[in-house]
Amino acid sequence: MRSPETSIGGSAPFSALVGKELRDLAAGRAFWVTLVLLALLVGASFEQAVSLYSEASRAAVQTPLLARGLSPFDGVVVPTFGALYLAATFLLPFVVIRMVGAEKANGGLKLMLQMPYSPMAVIGAKLVAALVAWIAMALIPMSALGAWLLMGGHLGSAETVNLLLGHLLYALAITGIAMLCAAASDNPSTAAILALAATIGFWVLDFAAAGQGGIVQALAGLSLTQVLRSFERGLLSTAPALAAVIASLGLVVIASVWLHSGRALARKVTLTAATVACVGVAVVAVTTVPMHRDMTEDHRNSFPPSETAGLRRLTAPLYVIVKLAPEDPRLVDFERGVLGKLRRTVPRLRVTIESESRTGLFETSDEHYGEIVLRYSGRESTTRSTGAGEVLPIIFELAGIAQPVLAASPPYPGYPLIAQAAASRMWFFAILPLLIVAMWAWNAGLFDRLRAATGSTKSNATGERA
Amino acid sequence: MLEISGLGRRFGDVAALDNVGLHVESGEILGLVGPNGSGKTTLLEVVCGLQPATSGNVTWQGQALPPERRKDVMFYVPDGITPWPEHKTSDVLGFFASSFARPRDVTDAVIDGLALGPVLHKRIGALSKGFRRRLLIALGLIAPHPLLLMDEPFDGLDVRHTREVASLLRATASGQRSLLLSIHQLVDAERICDRLVLLSDGRVRGEGRIDELRARAGLAAGSLEDVFLALT
Repeated sequence: MRSPETSIGGSAPFSALVGKELRDLAAGRAFWVTLVLLALLVGASFEQAVSLYSEASRAAVQTPLLARGLSPFDGVVVPTFGALYLAATFLLPFVVIRMVGAEKANGGLKLMLQMPYSPMAVIGAKLVAALVAWIAMALIPMSALGAWLLMGGHLGSAETVNLLLGHLLYALAITGIAMLCAAASDNPSTAAILALAATIGFWVLDFAAAGQGGIVQALAGLSLTQVLRSFERGLLSTAPALAAVIASLGLVVIASVWLHSGRALARKVTLTAATVACVGVAVVAVTTVPMHRDMTEDHRNSFPPSETAGLRRLTAPLYVIVKLAPEDPRLVDFERGVLGKLRRTVPRLRVTIESESRTGLFETSDEHYGEIVLRYSGRESTTRSTGAGEVLPIIFELAGIAQPVLAASPPYPGYPLIAQAAASRMWFFAILPLLIVAMWAWNAGLFDRLRAATGSTKSNATGERA
Repeated sequence: MLEISGLGRRFGDVAALDNVGLHVESGEILGLVGPNGSGKTTLLEVVCGLQPATSGNVTWQGQALPPERRKDVMFYVPDGITPWPEHKTSDVLGFFASSFARPRDVTDAVIDGLALGPVLHKRIGALSKGFRRRLLIALGLIAPHPLLLMDEPFDGLDVRHTREVASLLRATASGQRSLLLSIHQLVDAERICDRLVLLSDGRVRGEGRIDELRARAGLAAGSLEDVFLALT
């Protein structure tokens, strides 16, 4: 007789578990419906993006200066992948919840928990299947990029891969949230409500933080949407990326804690608290040393290399006091063109936004409204300009550093293109959805059943004739 | 082999199990008998670790067996589930066989013994209640654990199949595996079980062979039904 020391579950193959999860994924309608809806969404986004890009390109084709403002990444790639963002926000949770919730509902989980797999392995296999589902989803907007190249469009490989990474991290986080909701809920409906409440909550947070400072803005920085936004701007920032990975894996671990029905509530709460603490420490650790890389072809997120090198030499704190309201367009310009780049370059930057109101509409009577005060090593200078061309020389002067000489480099040429996405309409609105439906039908064995039904009808007819 | 003592499970103010104690011997079939709501399913799920116990101990060969290690020695086949309804029968059987590293001949013998051959290519959701029950029993038999817990293994089976499955379970027990079966059909329980545990309102009302229970109830020629009614 076997004793408890003889572990039956010692060497169960994880591949068998993953295979089962992949079969489960393909067997569920949620996955195929998501793909069909995504094909339609991508088709609409791509067609509209190409149309708008072509409109903008008409004038730029003749004028090189205008052409420089035309980046296919901003004009076509990001809007097309916006459909993937929508699908990951609203449809992927259902696919993931089904993976966990259906097994809980049909009793399969009771068997799974007794098999030679830990709850972490069970959840891990589901995570692998969820990533496979996301890859299948991502292939659809990637096919749009293929269509763009066929039209003669240009693609920057680094910025496109970076964007894909951002969407992957976003999907990973959504998967973690959905898994936790499904593992902790009694039924899939409750899990779906909780998961959507979380994802829509990020939207609400972004909306509430728009043009606001303080705690709300700081909280909005933790929003998943904000993590994706930095990738959409062509930035690869280690802090939000690693924090998203750690938080997502933390959610998956907590999901595995709540998956086991045999654990007492107190034990689940204790393990959850311990995981949250570990995740918190890890997130703080990775965010203390932020690293940024500008992945865009036009290097819009960084100063020229010589100026960057000069700014990195600022060893003392650089104070920037901005007397502009959060919703003032000048602050938005300053943030995008100067402040954001300074944050990623200057080692010790201290920024203060001073404003009495949210919009600044009634502060124009204040003679100091609109000023930007720069202070370095006891020296101070004030400007009202929000452009890098004016602000950087002031900083270098305050620091006693000679204004770096800008190396002559060819400007970003821009890639105007007048194209018609009508040809891709057939692919996204007819061929691809039909292909997906056919794959679902084949996987569900509908063709076999149809063949069997046709065969039996024929044999019946033959019998009647006889 | 397996010893359960003082096992309790509460849902708020309701005690689903109250100070339950029993033991399972090596190679025996122990029947858990009781009406609906008596706590049979809860007991099986608490014993196998799928539900937390409020109190009590479970030991295996004299050593404490914590809930997280119970799946090393026992496998529980629940009642009323249709796991993975979109999967083919053969896929699920294959998944169990590969997960437990069971040789092909063991799986084939189980499939033959339960006459699952005709439905191997069918989706589980499309199986009849009887075939679904036989599939669940097959999964339990593929699992190599020394102790097998089954909730209502004959539910949904006709008379012929009940006898066939009973013979198969008897052969399993003679191969030194023990079985703890929850059965509400007293005729089936009397026919297949070596010993019986009578459960009512979450409490054990009697444990022993049928003749021992008859003696305790003072019904020398009584059926299990009579004995059960007398003791509960």
